[in-house]
Amino acid sequence: MKRGKASSLKRLLWVLIFLTGTTTILAGCGASRDAFKEEGKLHVTATIGMIADVAQEVGGDRVEVVGLMGPGVDPHLYKASQGDIAKLEDAAMILYGGLHLEGKMTEIFEKMAKKKTVVAVTKNIPERQLREVAAGTHDPHVWFNVRLWMSATETIRDALVEKDPDNGAEYEARAEAYLGKLEELDQYAKDQIATIPKQGRVMVTAHDAFGYFGDAYDIEVVGLQGISTAAEYGSKDVTGLRDMLVERGVKAVFVESSVPKKSIEAVIEGAKKQGHDVKIGGELFSDAMGKAGTAEGTYIGMVKHNVDTIVGALK
Amino acid sequence: MSGFWIMVTGALVASCCGILGCFLILRRMALVGDAISHSVLPGIVIAFLVSGSRDSVFMLFGAAIIGFVTVFLIQLFQNSGVQGDASIGVVFTSLFAAGVLLISLNASQVDLDLDCVLYGEIAYVHWNQLMINGVEVGPKAVWLLGITLFLIVAVIGLFYKQFKLCAFDPALAAAIGIPVALFHYVLMGLVSMATVSSFESVGAILVVGLLIVPPATAYLLTDRLGTMIGLSLVIGVISSIAGYYTAAVLDASIAGCMVCVAGVLFLLAFLFSPSHGLVVRKLRQRASTAREAY
Repeated sequence: MKRGKASSLKRLLWVLIFLTGTTTILAGCGASRDAFKEEGKLHVTATIGMIADVAQEVGGDRVEVVGLMGPGVDPHLYKASQGDIAKLEDAAMILYGGLHLEGKMTEIFEKMAKKKTVVAVTKNIPERQLREVAAGTHDPHVWFNVRLWMSATETIRDALVEKDPDNGAEYEARAEAYLGKLEELDQYAKDQIATIPKQGRVMVTAHDAFGYFGDAYDIEVVGLQGISTAAEYGSKDVTGLRDMLVERGVKAVFVESSVPKKSIEAVIEGAKKQGHDVKIGGELFSDAMGKAGTAEGTYIGMVKHNVDTIVGALK
Repeated sequence: MSGFWIMVTGALVASCCGILGCFLILRRMALVGDAISHSVLPGIVIAFLVSGSRDSVFMLFGAAIIGFVTVFLIQLFQNSGVQGDASIGVVFTSLFAAGVLLISLNASQVDLDLDCVLYGEIAYVHWNQLMINGVEVGPKAVWLLGITLFLIVAVIGLFYKQFKLCAFDPALAAAIGIPVALFHYVLMGLVSMATVSSFESVGAILVVGLLIVPPATAYLLTDRLGTMIGLSLVIGVISSIAGYYTAAVLDASIAGCMVCVAGVLFLLAFLFSPSHGLVVRKLRQRASTAREAY
């Protein structure tokens, strides 16, 4: 009996040794795929699409940018796949949002910063321009204030120039041109939103990603949910929102591409019962851009789409 | 190197979970891991409210404390006669609800869900290195889980007979003077420690999966507790390694693939186990009916 036990233990030990051995060998060979395809370019990995887009605009042909989170992926719900390891490992530069947008990954980025160029694109935005949501904690959705995203663009430009000074002049020039476009975009948003009558200038969305947008373009933002997509919402929020819609005669509410429609539909149903018709004003992009290759697949196109949708529905 | 550390981390999680899972399955409390994965929510909210930061140290601390509270309450209710599954259900739903309530009252604007602040990602363990005197000494997760595994092996190894008897026949254990309640509490405390530290390193699905699936597979293959623990370790380790390579081929979530491989192994055992497998049982049945007809 005792001997049987000892020998089975021994066998187990052998199996374990064998397994660790093969693992080490296999891991050495590496089953990784190449994250980047083009040689001779500066390899940049960006977490969200908005950052990837700006990096590509500023870098032009000199850089190859890959994004971790694809179109329609909510950064709060992002799950890493095996290929993402190579995207981070092989990159010469990593750009991320910061302000805890990437959740627990932020800590990983801070650690990686010791070994390679890892830049939080929001790092140069002055703290007083950030929206504080709790003591010491800031709203990370800065891209909806185009002015703040211009600061992010400058941060990206500076990072590229520092990493690849030989092509610095080119990055500077491209950034200059792009910043010009962003300035126009900022003005466009201001002008367009101002055409909505003040009383009905309220946008209701299921996701509080538009705080910066509201501040910058003078439109009241009412969210049904807290900032986190996973947070539940209380029934008081639903009734309060419904009453506000009816009282102020708001014509439409907005559903975003990365939030389930169900929560907002409950509010519309409630308003209808009180005799006030509310439309769904169309989809706004919040945490993620549209598909690559479409106009909404770029940062500028995405902001334009949101502005036009809001103005079209509320005016 | 990152692949190697991911598999080591996976194997460590599998080992911690594999040992404890066997006892949990025998006690019909396998879902306690899932329960802890939800019930720690108030812990992270309170840790945030007190510290004002979402730093993982505070989050881990808050989660660990509420993890212990969870298993303590589950065990307490069970000792007082509430059904095992009911006491798990009552405790974790109430605690999770308390967490949701705390968020909506105090921190509805802050991104505080478990996925964002507590659950780690196994793909990135390699980059979270532990530094001692400015020298990297391996991923933090490997150290954390290694220490946890050592503790589990030490405690279970020292009191193996007592744990075994408490799991199989608590009445007999009590009759011969073993403090059954104490051993139940110790086991649950270990479970809480293992799951919370694993959540922080590798995320929830991997822990909950490896706590149940490999031991359940082993349970189909043997009737002896020692062999069951050994098999459950081997199955867990195979799942982590094969899962990693599956994820590499599919370019998919690593934790997801590891648990899927474990699920496939379970299915194989369910069908083809020499003692309890579906196929063998059917064959035996046919043989015996044939004999009767003869």
